[in-house]
Parts: sequence; C-alpha cells; structure tokens
Amino acid sequence: MSGHDVLSLFQGIQTLVEAPPVITVARIGFMVLGMFLVYLGKKGVLEPLLMVPMGLGMSAVNAGVLVLDNGKAGTLFLDPLVTDQEHLFSLLQIDFLQPIYTLMFSNGLIACFVFMGIGVLLDVGYVLARPFLSMFLAICAELGTVAVFPIAVALGFSYNDAASVAMIGCADGPMVLYTSLMLSKDLFVPIGVVAYLYLGLTYGGYPYLIKFLVPAKLRALPMVEKKVLVVTSAEKLAFAVVGCTVLCLLFPVAAPLFFSLFLGVAVREAGLHYFVDFIGGPLLYGATLFLGLILGVLCEAATILSPKVLLLLILGMVALLLSGIGGIVGGYLVYFFGGRKFNPVIGIAGVSCVPTTAKVAQKSVSEVAPNVVILPVALGANISGVITSAILTGIYVTIIPHLIK
Amino acid sequence: MNSALFVTFFIAGLAFALSMLVAAMIKLVYYTVRFFTAIKEPKS
Repeated sequence: MSGHDVLSLFQGIQTLVEAPPVITVARIGFMVLGMFLVYLGKKGVLEPLLMVPMGLGMSAVNAGVLVLDNGKAGTLFLDPLVTDQEHLFSLLQIDFLQPIYTLMFSNGLIACFVFMGIGVLLDVGYVLARPFLSMFLAICAELGTVAVFPIAVALGFSYNDAASVAMIGCADGPMVLYTSLMLSKDLFVPIGVVAYLYLGLTYGGYPYLIKFLVPAKLRALPMVEKKVLVVTSAEKLAFAVVGCTVLCLLFPVAAPLFFSLFLGVAVREAGLHYFVDFIGGPLLYGATLFLGLILGVLCEAATILSPKVLLLLILGMVALLLSGIGGIVGGYLVYFFGGRKFNPVIGIAGVSCVPTTAKVAQKSVSEVAPNVVILPVALGANISGVITSAILTGIYVTIIPHLIK
Repeated sequence: MNSALFVTFFIAGLAFALSMLVAAMIKLVYYTVRFFTAIKEPKS
C-alpha cells in the first residue's frame, strides 16, 4: 500500500497535502480562526449566538474537504457558486445544507426572518416620542455607509460592489446580506462574513471612540426630559402600517425587508401573543442559528480567498469607524444647536446595531455619571438607525443598477 | 471618480430627505391617531 493510497483513506488530509500551498495555509488558518471565534463567543467578546455556530462551521468545512466524483476537491456541506440548474438539483440531494442555502439564504429569507424577530423586539414608542431628533441622529450615523462608497470606487470596486461594502457601515447584518445578495453575488460571501465579524467589534471598539471624541464632562451631562410622551399601542400599530406601506411604495426592491421589520412591530403592537412568542423565539433563534452556520460554512478557503478580501476588511473597518464618528458629530450638532443640554454620546446609538450601540452609549455615560440615564433617547436613535439603514438599502438597491446601465 | 462623488452626494441628500419625510410621517400618524382617539373617548 503506497503513501498515496493511505492518504486517500483520509481525504481531508490528502486534499490538504495535495492542494496549492495558498489553499493549504488558508484552510489551516480558517480551522484555527473558527476555533478562535467559538472561544471569543464563549467568552462573550463576540456575539455567541452567531459566533459559536459560525466558528464551528468554519472549522468543520475547511477540515472536511474530500475528492468528489469529478476528481475536484469539495465538501458535502454546500456549494454557493453553483449556477447550472441540473447540477443544483443533484446538489440539493447530496449537500446537506444546500436546501437551506438555496431556499432560505440566497433569496434573503433568513435575513427577513431575523428582521421579523428584530421587529418584535423593537418598541417604536421611543421613536414616536422624538421622531425628528431620532431620525437626525440616525442619518448622521450613516456617514460610513455613504462615505465609503466613493472610497471603494476609487480603490477599483465596481459601483455594485462598492455599495455592498459601504453598507457594512450601517452595522446591520441582514441589510448588508440583502444588499450584497442583490448587487454583488460574487462578493456576498466575504462581505457577509466581514460584516458579521465586525458587528462584534462595535461592543469592543465604540467605547474607546466615545472616550476619544467626547470629554468626561460632556459624557456626564444629564438629559432633562421636558415631558414624557405617552405613546399607545394603537399609535405604534398605525405607524407600523403607514410606515411599511409608504416605504414599500418608495422602494419596492427593499419591500421584503421593510415588510418583515414592520410585520414584527405590527404583531407586537396588535397584542398577538402567540405570534410574538413564535417570531421572537423559535423563528428568530432558528434563523440566527442557520445564519451563523451558513456564514461559517461559506468560509471555505477555496470560496472565500479573493484578492479583494483584505480591502474588504479595511473598508469594513473604515465604514464602521466613520459611522460611529458621524453619530457622535450628530450628537454634538444637537448639543450645540439645542442649548447645550443634550448628551452627545447618544449620537453613537444612531448606528443601527440594535440594541448594542444604545447599551454601549449608556455604559459609557454610566462610567462617569452612574445616575445619568440616556437609554430611552438612545433607543429612539437606535431604532431609527434600523429605519435609515433600510432607507439606504432601498436607495442603493434601487439606484445603483440604473447607474451602470 | 467624479461621478462616484456626485452619486454619493445624491444618495446622502436623498437619504436625509427621506429620513425627515419618515419623521414627519411619524408625527402625522401620531397626531391623526390622537385626534381620532380623542373623538372616540372624550375626556370626562
């Protein structure tokens, strides 16, 4: 029995040995990175609900490479690059995650499920209490989503790819996935992975950005509420219905996302407890599990290795950084033009990573002034951030294809 | 590159205008619902 025959018994190792050195190194790197992500998820540094399935999927898919019938290396997880319908049909019967990828992921259904879940968790009363302030802060916190677009074009990305990369700045995973699925199918795997990896960084990086840009004296500024506006569930439901209809009318391309978000809000405000329990529980957590799993499995070295990945990593970081800065600048504008009674830290909550950025803002304030509460105002900006992200998704997905015709 | 900058400013302006439109719509919906609720349930 020759060495080759022995190796063919262990095809994971055989494909590792026989692959080009770049792929071999990348596969080993991804296996280790996957394990590290599981560790970071367990430690709570990154979001465990996503990172544990994603990390495990990443390690497993890069380890479990075998020689397929056609003599090429591949896996029995899924093939994201298949285009031929006949081949896809046979893969649906072979690759165990292919049905979920084809029928739920590549058409954005998982992103819509996550959005329904987010809608159920949102209390739009915070937005209804101060709509102009909340929306202003949220649009300022989209600075990265807008400013990275020309930077990416200058670096050689096409308009479609640049728009998808820029969307990382909105810090809203489903929106990034949806935009890249619509505009740049070739890059949506690395863009999706980079976006979800970076969402965890808002926990770790934004507190330092706040400390750097806002002095302790301003961070400790108490918010004086003139009067607390009571918003009834009927008003919230009416907003969800009208808001959904108007936004779908304006941006039909992003209508599935708008509909999913406002369906969650409407179900919550209509008091449909069975639906709330289902959407906020099994549906949201089931979709999150498969989202993490599919994202991890998509990180197969041969699929994700692209010369553009390093650029994506840098641009994603720049986008999130600019969005954070934009949010704080928005907070400062309200502070200066609003009689110096507004805590500028609230601006960063406009970055629509619900509810992470609102919590980060409150935590940064509590460190210097434990009795100051900014969370209600921050949550208003935070929820508005989801709406402005959806608006920008709609704009990019609608306008960019017309520009390149 | 110039056209990319033009697109960027156009997108930023449109996003800002739509955000303010949504904020105005929120206010409108809020006061409309308030109005009809007030008619239905007069203060004692």
